[in-house]
Amino acid sequence: MTEDPAAKIAARLDEIWRRSRPTVLERMTVLRSACEALALNLADADARTHGREAAHKLSGTLGVFGLPQGTQLASSIEDLLLASDLLTREDLASLRNQIAELDAVIATRLDD
Amino acid sequence: MSRRVLIIDDEEDIREVAALSLETVAGWDVLVAGSGAAGIAKARENHPDAILLDVMMPGMDGPTTFRELRSLPETADIPVILLTAKVQAADQKRFSDLGVVKVMFKPFDPLVLAQEIAATLGWQEI
Repeated sequence: MTEDPAAKIAARLDEIWRRSRPTVLERMTVLRSACEALALNLADADARTHGREAAHKLSGTLGVFGLPQGTQLASSIEDLLLASDLLTREDLASLRNQIAELDAVIATRLDD
Repeated sequence: MSRRVLIIDDEEDIREVAALSLETVAGWDVLVAGSGAAGIAKARENHPDAILLDVMMPGMDGPTTFRELRSLPETADIPVILLTAKVQAADQKRFSDLGVVKVMFKPFDPLVLAQEIAATLGWQEI
C-alpha cells in the first residue's frame, strides 16, 4: 500500500521538529540576551545583529513546523532590529513583549 | 522524468524538510549541502537540474555562492532559486540583477514546494 505523501510528510515533520527544538530554544536565548544587552545600551550594534540573525532564522523555520504565528512574530522582531534608526525605550518594550509572545507560541509545541 | 535538485542551506532542519518535500511529493533526487563551498563542489560534481540556495549563510552567503556558480563553466547554466526568510527592497533589486530565476520565501509549505519549483522552471511532470 502506498503511503499518503501528506501523512508521510506530517510524520517526518514531527520527527524533525523534535530534533530541532534545542536549536529553536537556543535562538530564543540569543534573542533574550540581545534584548538584555540592548536594555543596557540601546546602541549596542552587536546585540542588534545577533538578535536580528536569530529572529531571521526563527522566522524561516517556525512556519514550516506549523507555527505561522511564530514566523510572524519573529519577522516583526527582525524588522524592529533591522530599522536603521537608533532603538528607543518604546522599541525595547515592544521587543520584550514580542519575545514573550514568541516564547508562548513556541511553548505550544514543546510537548509534542 | 526524474529531476535532480541540489539544496544549499546551512540550516539542517530546512535542508531536511525541503529534501523530504521534493522526494516525497515530486519523486525527485535530492542532493544537499550545508555551505556555499560544499554546494559548489556538489554542483560541479553532479550537475543538478536546479539549485535551491539559501541567502543568509555564514561564510559564503547565497549571492556570493551564486556568483561563483555562474563563473564556473560546469555550473553556469544551472537554474538557481534563492530561498530566504525576508527580503528588503534593496535586496530584491540586487537579487534580480544577479540573474537568479526566482526568490522564494521561507517558511515554505512542504506540500507545495515542489509544485512551486516546477512551475518556476517550467517543469510539467508534477
